[in-house]
Amino acid sequence: MTDSGFTVDVDQNQYLPEGGRDVSAIVTVASGPGVAALPGGGPGGAAASSAEIIIIDCSGSMEYPHTKIAEARAATAAAVDVVRDGVLFAVIAGTNLAWPVFPADGSMARADASSRALAKQAVAGLRAGGGTAIGQWLELARQTFGRYPAELRHAILLTDGKNQHETPEQLAAAVRGCETVFSCDCRGVGTDWEVKELRTISTALLGTVDIVPDPSGLAADFAAMMENAMGKQVADVALRVWTPQHATVKFVKQVAPTVEDLTGRRTPSGPQAGDYPTGAWGPGESRDYHVGVEVTPAGLGQEMLAARVSLVAGGPSGAEVLGQGLVRAIWTDDEALSTKLNSRVAHYTGQAELAAAIQDGLEARKQGDEETATAKLGRAVALAHQSGNEDTAKLLAKVVDVVNPETGTVRLKKQVEDADEMALDTRSTKTVRARK
Amino acid sequence: MAVCPNGHDSASEDFCDICGMRIDGARSATGPSGTTGMPSYGSLPPVPGGPGAPGGSGAPGPGQAGDPCPRCGTARSGQFCESCGFNFGTAPPAWASTPLPSSSAPAPPYSAPPSAPYAPPPASSSWPPGPAHSAAPDSSGPLTRPPGPRPSPLDTWTAVVSADHDYYEIVRAAGSPDSSDLPFPAYCAERRFRLTGGQMQIGRRSVSRGLDPEIDLTGPPADPGISRLHAVLIATPDGSWTVLDPGSANGTLLNGREIPTGSQVPLHDGDRINLGAWTAITVYRS
Repeated sequence: MTDSGFTVDVDQNQYLPEGGRDVSAIVTVASGPGVAALPGGGPGGAAASSAEIIIIDCSGSMEYPHTKIAEARAATAAAVDVVRDGVLFAVIAGTNLAWPVFPADGSMARADASSRALAKQAVAGLRAGGGTAIGQWLELARQTFGRYPAELRHAILLTDGKNQHETPEQLAAAVRGCETVFSCDCRGVGTDWEVKELRTISTALLGTVDIVPDPSGLAADFAAMMENAMGKQVADVALRVWTPQHATVKFVKQVAPTVEDLTGRRTPSGPQAGDYPTGAWGPGESRDYHVGVEVTPAGLGQEMLAARVSLVAGGPSGAEVLGQGLVRAIWTDDEALSTKLNSRVAHYTGQAELAAAIQDGLEARKQGDEETATAKLGRAVALAHQSGNEDTAKLLAKVVDVVNPETGTVRLKKQVEDADEMALDTRSTKTVRARK
Repeated sequence: MAVCPNGHDSASEDFCDICGMRIDGARSATGPSGTTGMPSYGSLPPVPGGPGAPGGSGAPGPGQAGDPCPRCGTARSGQFCESCGFNFGTAPPAWASTPLPSSSAPAPPYSAPPSAPYAPPPASSSWPPGPAHSAAPDSSGPLTRPPGPRPSPLDTWTAVVSADHDYYEIVRAAGSPDSSDLPFPAYCAERRFRLTGGQMQIGRRSVSRGLDPEIDLTGPPADPGISRLHAVLIATPDGSWTVLDPGSANGTLLNGREIPTGSQVPLHDGDRINLGAWTAITVYRS
């Protein structure tokens, strides 16, 4: 533990056979119980300033059943109740347009008893009607956040439908515009929304995605999400990966608590270095990252630094180093050393394959390709079984009949509830932690 | 400054800044490969920007200050029109590209604030056409689609509901008994309705009277001058539309003139229907 309150640990097999190029390591980043905003982040190191926006789908389908819009109103009110005093907040409603619900002038309010009461009053008047254009909602949130200098900007987005009233390109452009502005947790209520669509948003905006099959579960979920957001203390933390000349970063993935591929999110941050965003951190968090680097082989017995992984705060221009770990490469002719697979690298390689097998299998099932679906979902069952990922195994068992979990022999179920299939899809990226 | 086995000058003294090779004299590699926290011998490659670089708040500026509001013509001073509350930021592009009959000022082209990396492409090319669109779940609400010339054998009619400040001033100036204390809404989201079926009722939903008008103006914001069943848009056999006032309490204007009760008046592209204290319904044919 350092002054910053963060630790960075590297777990790998640093031994490579002669001519070996691929270096793989699990980097574990943990925040201590006392992490707080950095000196640069606020006066006297006080808690970073936060801003929260709740984005509620008010499209016509939220009326069917009528409880959906009613529960969405109640959930928004529950989340508003959790907003800490002094935090800036706003509520946005979205259809094929987006408009500010509270404050009605499109600004953000500082939370206190009276502003929370006014917000809940405004939310109580929300009605459903219109289409769905999620890009418009995100764009309004971006503009609203943009007018305030808060460091921790977070949104909760609720929808019950597909993004029908704008093109995928419009949505993608809106998401790109929001990437460095705020983080966003996405929730789909009911079963008429598109898992892939929300996952694209939550991944780009460093948030979570989940299904709330029954509207009555919304209020508890919203309050929990807001509690979690209120716990964040350090904004814009990035993994800065330095690699030697002629080396290539093959991938950088978060692998716990969920699989999130960050490879494409690199921002150059200096000679031979790039930053990968990890979002905001609260106290007592721990996340694992899998870093893969391809290096130019050196001679037997030589040692090379394959990657210097630093945890930095303050965005791409930030230089506040919170911790650092070294990924090494040593070339040896001792095969007992070079062929040993690091158990955590192996575990997380399997968890990433598990997530991919589920997503590919469900996609194949949707396309009517039962052979591929059976093979992929069978592989997923075997991987979940081997790695002890019981939650995912349970979700899989609702979609396939498991004949033999060891070998991954399964039969596709004829009747699958939409909610079960969507829950498996959204939660496919959840991993179990590998012991050291 | 250290020199690595390959001859590079390196600011870091453990591994070369350039090629990563271990520099002689550095700590041996017998321990665990990982290190915890900030090692004392570590140093980072130089970083452009460095400490003290401004945090990227990226606050967008006020945008095209001085541009006329497409709804009421007031000069723009921020994201929202100071006069009618029009939201410059979220208006669909079609709003700005369609000239409005009540405003002589040229409408400004929509664009995001200068710092915004996102500008929506023109609506005319991007809306997925086809029947699959209307069969989808969300069409249970009023189906909406921005107007604009689209290649289609059948004309699409759209009614756009907005708050009309000019009309509001006329109502107040006319000195109707209770109009003087009616507020103009601070913010009114634009609502769009595609005209479908044989007729579209305009009014306010009433459970007790069993009224569920297709163009439901209940609000918010609520315009108290609108009758439960205020007017009806009726399709004609040739595919165009007419407006009929069945006898509303406060009457209906078409392009500024009151229409007679109980008769169908033909509508044209861009016609503006005014009703209540501040409501405008502009119809577009595309």
